[in-house]
Amino acid sequence: MLRPKKSLLILVLVCILTVFTTACNSGGNNAADSASPSPGQAGSEGQNNGDSQVITDWSKEPEVTLSVFSVLANYAGEQPGWFAKLVKDKFNIKLNIIQGSTDRVATQMASGDLGDLVVGMGGKNYTDSIKAGLLLDWTKDGLIDKYAPNMQKYAPQALEANRKQYGGGTSIYGIGNNVGSGDGPSEGATMTFGPYLRWDLYQELGSPKIQTLDDYLPVLKKMQELQPKSESGKKTYGFSLWSDWDGNFSTLAKVTAQFYGYAETDGFNTGDMILVKADEAKYQPILDEDSYYMKGLKFYFDANQMGLLDPDSLTQKFGDVSNKFKDGQVLFAQFPWLVNVYNTPDHTSDGKGFALVPFAEEQIYSNGFNPYGSGWLWSIGAKTKHPERVMAFLDWMYSPEGVAEGYHGPKGMSWDVDAEGKPALTELGLQTMYNPDTPIPDEYGGGVWSDGAGNFGKLNNGTIITSSINPETGEPYDFNLWTSTLTRNPDPVTKSWREAMGVLTDKEWFVKNNQVAIMKPFFNGQAPAEEPSDIKLKHSQVGKVIKEFSWKMMFAKDQAEFDSLKQDLLTKAKGLGYDDVIKWQLGQTESTVFTMYK
Amino acid sequence: MSTGLAKIPEHPARRRDRYQLKGKYKLFLIALPFLVLVFLFSYLPLYGWIYSLYNYFPAIPLSQSEFVGLRWFTMMFSNEVQRDEMMRVLRNTFAISSLGIVTSVFPVIFAILLQEIRSTKFKRLVQTFTTLPNFISWVLVYSFAFMMFAVDNGFVNNLLLRLGWIDTPLNILASDNHTWLAMTLWGVWKGLGWGAIMYIAAITGIDTELYEAARVDGAGRFKQIWHITVPGIIPTYFVLLILSIANFINNGLDQYFVFANAMNMSNIEVLDLYVYNIGMANSNFGFATAVSIMKSLVSLFLLFLANGMSKVVRGESII
Repeated sequence: MLRPKKSLLILVLVCILTVFTTACNSGGNNAADSASPSPGQAGSEGQNNGDSQVITDWSKEPEVTLSVFSVLANYAGEQPGWFAKLVKDKFNIKLNIIQGSTDRVATQMASGDLGDLVVGMGGKNYTDSIKAGLLLDWTKDGLIDKYAPNMQKYAPQALEANRKQYGGGTSIYGIGNNVGSGDGPSEGATMTFGPYLRWDLYQELGSPKIQTLDDYLPVLKKMQELQPKSESGKKTYGFSLWSDWDGNFSTLAKVTAQFYGYAETDGFNTGDMILVKADEAKYQPILDEDSYYMKGLKFYFDANQMGLLDPDSLTQKFGDVSNKFKDGQVLFAQFPWLVNVYNTPDHTSDGKGFALVPFAEEQIYSNGFNPYGSGWLWSIGAKTKHPERVMAFLDWMYSPEGVAEGYHGPKGMSWDVDAEGKPALTELGLQTMYNPDTPIPDEYGGGVWSDGAGNFGKLNNGTIITSSINPETGEPYDFNLWTSTLTRNPDPVTKSWREAMGVLTDKEWFVKNNQVAIMKPFFNGQAPAEEPSDIKLKHSQVGKVIKEFSWKMMFAKDQAEFDSLKQDLLTKAKGLGYDDVIKWQLGQTESTVFTMYK
Repeated sequence: MSTGLAKIPEHPARRRDRYQLKGKYKLFLIALPFLVLVFLFSYLPLYGWIYSLYNYFPAIPLSQSEFVGLRWFTMMFSNEVQRDEMMRVLRNTFAISSLGIVTSVFPVIFAILLQEIRSTKFKRLVQTFTTLPNFISWVLVYSFAFMMFAVDNGFVNNLLLRLGWIDTPLNILASDNHTWLAMTLWGVWKGLGWGAIMYIAAITGIDTELYEAARVDGAGRFKQIWHITVPGIIPTYFVLLILSIANFINNGLDQYFVFANAMNMSNIEVLDLYVYNIGMANSNFGFATAVSIMKSLVSLFLLFLANGMSKVVRGESII
């Protein structure tokens, strides 16, 4: 009687255990094979591979879903909208986007599988992934020769650079972003930074001359008095900041450096504690008495003393700030893309909108064209089941057609070329480009424009830089720079700004007035050095203290408190090893980028 | 009688033998799946402590990683500022946890008061509304807090301004006043109803005859509470208390993570948040592991301390 019962019990237990263990196992398998097709599909591509026959029409191949691990994505899940349709039609693939934050990258790397397409990974993670064999070597089986003709044609130096820097001179493990060549700034119609003011209010004040950064404060005070309430009746502020994008310092205060031609990077190494001039062998440790970072802190401190700084700056998130811009609560913008939510046709047709108001001392930081590509690399996971298809898709994004359609939608939808082959926006395009909620016809994938829009949809990384010339049209890829766009009848704000400034675009103004510092690409055939682990730990501890005290200083009650906080910051940062970090980072910059100026 | 005496001790002994021989494997087998789970999730991860001895980066196997010995441990205390940092973080952890333990009687009081409510409908309503916050994630709690306390058009500031009680809006979220207390109160708000459930169950388990007898003896409501309800739930309270002392040093991450900002960072940064900020967010995994090991040791010490105190004070222990 007892025996059968007991064996039954054991059986049940064994079953439970098996369920547990298999659940674990299959979980692991799923993670590894998330992109694996049914056996039949694998067979068909395998055969193609065996025949060494190059596939040209991917739309005839069986459908696959690629997992795209994007460090830069602000989106997770399957790519929606017109970009999804475009990619499906051309390659018969669906893109499943996995969003990779810093800690997610570590987890994904530790799991040993980075998916099919890896977007935007760079720095130490990238070199470690190569070391651990997580990335595919593109030279294997002639992959790059068969499936990447466009990269070889339009970004040959970028491939070569990767071969030298990361592939030991033989292998290629990826390609840099924003590849381009030429002189001058590589930005589009607008630069990366501002400053922008509410043009209507600034005009109303009689466009007072702005000599130094500090001159914005009295002007903004008058603008605030002129317009004390926003559209929904809320109090207006000169500045509204946010802290959720901060790394090792207050990002918004650091932007001050970019107004003066300095940046927290030398464009090659990974350090961010020294501010380096874009086009000279000059630098400032970030906490130096007269560094532009400290100047930024003082600037926002003064703004707060004058009641110009939004008191929620520290506690709100970027989304809150964007809503405040939309409502007209903020009068000063550090970046051009901040003002898009306010500069809608509704506002601009009333003459209300933001426009660039530079200061006389300004020398804006600009990225020059970099034929080697920048540090947010595109690469392919070593465990992918479809290396050919991923390669072909990536190559398409480096082709003139891919860049043009990846940013502005399929030809014929929102843009087209005229009889002379020059590009222009269509009726639909004139709406989509200025209102992201414009519906898209079903034949192009339906939904609204913003579903598919972005830098290659939600992948959010560049390939060929869009300010470079499209060989098929002879005009830049970016529609903002097309002749048809620049000559079209502008809205009242743009019209008034162009008349006052005597130029068509922001970039033109900076170049014309010689107020731009352009970073030169640096290349020595080697990858940037890796931070030693003790420096790395000190770096993150110092960064935490800088971030904390920066905000305290901006919101200090009075000058005395500001000064004492500054003193505390220096003591604490130095105690945590600030000097060692600076010394190491400076050493790297001096032995690489600064050698260009000797 | 003599036969009877001889038989009685014999019988249970035989039964015990049978029980021990046949039953123990069965019991062991019943417990086995759970032992396996405990091993998998509580003991196997201890293998990860090995990372504290290496300069580890994801994807690079340990065999190829640099062995650093106890460097991460010594680094925590290497100089004045580092020691101050550790002390600050530990102070925050201990302060917030102590306040948490002090406020752990709130659910007890709340449960007792709730049981005294006569109207079942009203009781249900109160219980539902106090239990609900437990299911709201801290991220949402923060956006709610921001809506309430924002300087620019926050509900509380608007109300106080309209009432004329203040002239300038208060910046409650970006202030370092009473951070420990504020965090504890948020915790109480979120956990009060949920924490009371266990005590309500304990109260329901008290024999109603005791109350009837007390009423017959002339005890009023307060006397009944004090002499019957409170002693009835004290054992439950103590078990939960000892467990919470073992968890003294793990006061979680998410609450402090969402509420942290530059102004309150020096008082809000508890150990878990510190490990996240330094270790995870900046991929110093070796250092983060070292700090976590220290944390485990302190937890273990606290558990035995609490247990020992319970033995002395109440004559019972749970381990």
